[in-house]
Amino acid sequence: MSAVYARRSVVNIVALTLSGLATLIGLIFLVWILWVTAQNGLGAIKLSLFTKITAYADQGGLSNAIVGSLIMDLMALLICAPIGVLAGTYLAEYASSTRLGATIRFLNDILLSAPSIVLGLFVYVIVVIPTTELTDGRISFSGFAGSVALALIGLPVIVRTTDEMLQLVPGTLREAALSLGIPQWKLTMQVLMRAAFSGILTGVLLALARLAGETAPLLFTAFGNNFMTAHPLDKMASMPVTIYQYTNDPNPTLHAIAWAGALLITLFVLALSLLTRIMFSRKKVSYE
Amino acid sequence: MSGSSKEHIIKSYDDELLRLTGELVRMGELAVSQLEAAIDVVDRRDERAAQHVVNNDDAIDQLEQEISHDVVRLLALRAPIAGDLRHVFAALRIAADIERIGDYAANVAKRSIPLSMAAPLKPTSGLAHLAELAAEEVRGVLRAYRDRDAELAYKVWQDDVELDEAYTAYFRELLTYMMEDPRVITPCTHLLFMAKNIERIGDHATNIAENVWFLVKGEPLTGQRDKRDLTSSPEPVKLGNRPD
Amino acid sequence: MNDLAAATAAPLTGANAPAKLKVRDVHFYYNGYHALKGINMDIPEKQVTAIIGPSGCGKSTLLRIFNRIYAIYPKLEAKGSIELDGENILDPSYSMNRLRTKVGMVFQKPVPFPMTIFENVAYGIRHHERLSRADMEIRVEQALRSAALWDEAKDKLKQSALGLSGGQQQRLCIARGIALRPEVLLLDEPTSALDPIATGRIEQLVEELKHEYTIVIVTHNMQQAARVSDRTAFMYMGDLIEFDNTEKIFTKPGKKQTEDYITGRFG
Repeated sequence: MSAVYARRSVVNIVALTLSGLATLIGLIFLVWILWVTAQNGLGAIKLSLFTKITAYADQGGLSNAIVGSLIMDLMALLICAPIGVLAGTYLAEYASSTRLGATIRFLNDILLSAPSIVLGLFVYVIVVIPTTELTDGRISFSGFAGSVALALIGLPVIVRTTDEMLQLVPGTLREAALSLGIPQWKLTMQVLMRAAFSGILTGVLLALARLAGETAPLLFTAFGNNFMTAHPLDKMASMPVTIYQYTNDPNPTLHAIAWAGALLITLFVLALSLLTRIMFSRKKVSYE
Repeated sequence: MSGSSKEHIIKSYDDELLRLTGELVRMGELAVSQLEAAIDVVDRRDERAAQHVVNNDDAIDQLEQEISHDVVRLLALRAPIAGDLRHVFAALRIAADIERIGDYAANVAKRSIPLSMAAPLKPTSGLAHLAELAAEEVRGVLRAYRDRDAELAYKVWQDDVELDEAYTAYFRELLTYMMEDPRVITPCTHLLFMAKNIERIGDHATNIAENVWFLVKGEPLTGQRDKRDLTSSPEPVKLGNRPD
Repeated sequence: MNDLAAATAAPLTGANAPAKLKVRDVHFYYNGYHALKGINMDIPEKQVTAIIGPSGCGKSTLLRIFNRIYAIYPKLEAKGSIELDGENILDPSYSMNRLRTKVGMVFQKPVPFPMTIFENVAYGIRHHERLSRADMEIRVEQALRSAALWDEAKDKLKQSALGLSGGQQQRLCIARGIALRPEVLLLDEPTSALDPIATGRIEQLVEELKHEYTIVIVTHNMQQAARVSDRTAFMYMGDLIEFDNTEKIFTKPGKKQTEDYITGRFG
C-alpha cells in the first residue's frame, strides 16, 4: 500500500511543479510585456498627448486618435451589442437544440476566430467601395466603416457569451416561470435576461476590450486622419493605427508617443477588465 | 412534551403525542375506578353490579387496542427518536400494565359473586384497605406519568412496600380464620386470591413507575427496593401475629 | 388537561374525499421510451397525496404531466386523460393559461426570480390579473402569510429574493405559486435541497395548506411521505403499484413490492 501512496505523492509533486512552472512562464511574459510598455510609455505621457493632434508629428500628441478610437469603439458597440445579445438569446432560448442553432453556433465560432484583416477587407468591399462609388469619392474611408469592421470583431464575442450565460441559468427557473403561466417572451426578457445580466454585460465589456485593440480592420476602413474630427463619415484616426504608423517611422520621438499610446490602450483594457470583475463580484447571482 | 418542552415544527406530531398521553391517562383512570367499583361490590354483595364491573373491562381492553394502534401509527409515520421514542415506547408498556390492572380489578369483581353467595365474612374490610393502598399507588403513578414526574414515580415505586406488608398481614389473618373455622375455607380462599390480585396491581403500578422513570430520565430505574411480601418465603408464617 | 382533551377528541385523518384529479390510463413517452405505462388514480381533494418510488420510476414525470410543464420540451408525449374537475387537461384545447393558474408547481431547488421578494410574488399575479397597487399589496401579503414567510420577509420586501436562505427561498416559491390561487399544488421534492429545520417548516406548511389546496408531493424521502401525506402512491418502473391511505401503506402495505421498497429490501 505504502508504495502506491509514495508513487502518488511523487506524481503529485511532479504535476504540481510542471503546472506551477507553466504558470510562471506565462506570468513572466505578461509582467514583462506590462513592464516594457510601462517603462517606455510612462516617460512619454504628458499633457500634450491629450491636447495636440497627430498633424504636429513629433511636436504633437494623440488627441485626434484618442477621440477617434473612442467614437469608433462606441459606435461599434452600439452596432454589435444589440445584435449580439439578441442573437445569443435566440440561440439559447429558441434554437438551443435545433439544427439551425447548431449551425449558427458553428459559424459564429468561425467568425470569432476569423483573421481581423479579413474582416477589414470585407468591410472595405461592402462599405467603403460602394459609398465611394455612390458619392463620387466624397465619402470613402470613414469612421463609420471602421465601426462596422470593429463591430464584426465584437459581435461573435457577445453572441457567444450571451448564449452561454443564458444557458447557465438553471432550467428550473424557466420551468418555474412557465408553470406560473408566464409566456416565453416575458420569461426571456424579464426573468432570464435579468438572471444573466451581469454575465451578458461582461460579454459586452470583453468585446469592447477586444475591439479597442484592433488595428487591422481599421487600415482599409477608417484609414486614419491627422486632424481632429468627430464626423463619422470622415476618415478617422485611431490609437492602434496611429501606433502602428508611428512605430514604422524612424523618428524616435514618435516611437515614444507610440509607447505612450500603447500604455493608454493597455490601461483602458485593464480598467475594463477590472470593471467587469467588480461587477461580477458585486452582483452575485448564484444559481449553482 | 417528553424530553423537551418545545413544540415540534410539525404541530400534528405534538397532537398525536398528546393524544397518546390523554388516552393512557383515561385508561388509567378507568382502571382505578374499576378497582374501586370491584371493592364496592364486594362490600355491598351485589352480584349484578359485580357482573357490570366484569363487563366494563372491555372498555379498558378497547383503549389498549387504540393505544397499540396509535403507537404503531406513530412508529410507522413519525419515526420518533430520543424523548419522543421513549414516550411512544413507554406508552406501549404502560398500556399493557394498565390493561393487566383492569384484568385484576375485574377478577376481584368476578370472585365477589361466589363470595356474596356465602355467609358474610368479617375480614372483607382488610381487603378494602388493600384496595385503597393499591388505588392510591395507581393514581400516584398516573399523576407521575401525566406530569412527567420521575420523583413521584420513584416514591410510588418505594411505597409499594406498604402494600406488600399489608398483603402479608392480611394473608396471615386469613390463614388464622381458616384454621379457626374450616367452614370459611372456600370464601377465605376467594378472598386470598382477591388479595393476591390486588397485590399484583401494586406490582404493575411499580412497573409503570419504572417506565415513567425511563421516560423522563432515559435510563432504567435501578436500586434496592424492600420486598415485604413474605408469604412465599421459606420461613413458616408465624401465626397469631394478626393485627387487630 | 384541556390540551389533552382536545387532542384526544381530534379525528384521525380519513381519506374519503372526492377526487380532484382523475388520472385515466395515462401513458408517457420520452424520446420513444415508454416512461409511464397506463396510470389510473384519483387524487383526493384537499388532501396530501405523496408519490414515492425509486429513481426513474416515473413519479416526477407523472407530476409534470399534471400541469403539462413537460410540454416545453420537444419529443415528449402524454396519452390518456387527466380530468381536473371533470375537464381533460391533456386535451390540446384546454387553455395552458387556465391550467397553470389552476395547478401551481414548486420545484426541487428553490428558484426565486432575480427580483425583489415582493416582485417575485407579484410577478405571476400581474400577468393574469390587473390589480391596483393596494390590492396587489394585499395579495402579496396574503400569499406570504399563507407560506409562513410574512414575519421573516415583511421588512425586506424590497430586497432581492436571492438574499433569503434556502428554506425561505423555497417558501417564497410556494408563496409565488399560491399567489395565483391555484386549486392544486404540485411539489416536486420540495425539501431535497434543505436542512432538517427548513424541511420541517415546509412540512408543517404543507399540513396547513391542505385545508385549502389539493396537494401532490413527489419525494425520495419515505419518512416525509409518511409524515405529511394522507394518501401514498408507490410507483415502480412506470407502473402505479399501490395507492392507499398512508397509514395503511406504512403499516400493512397490500403489495409485496411496496413492502420491499419501504422496508429497504429493494434491488
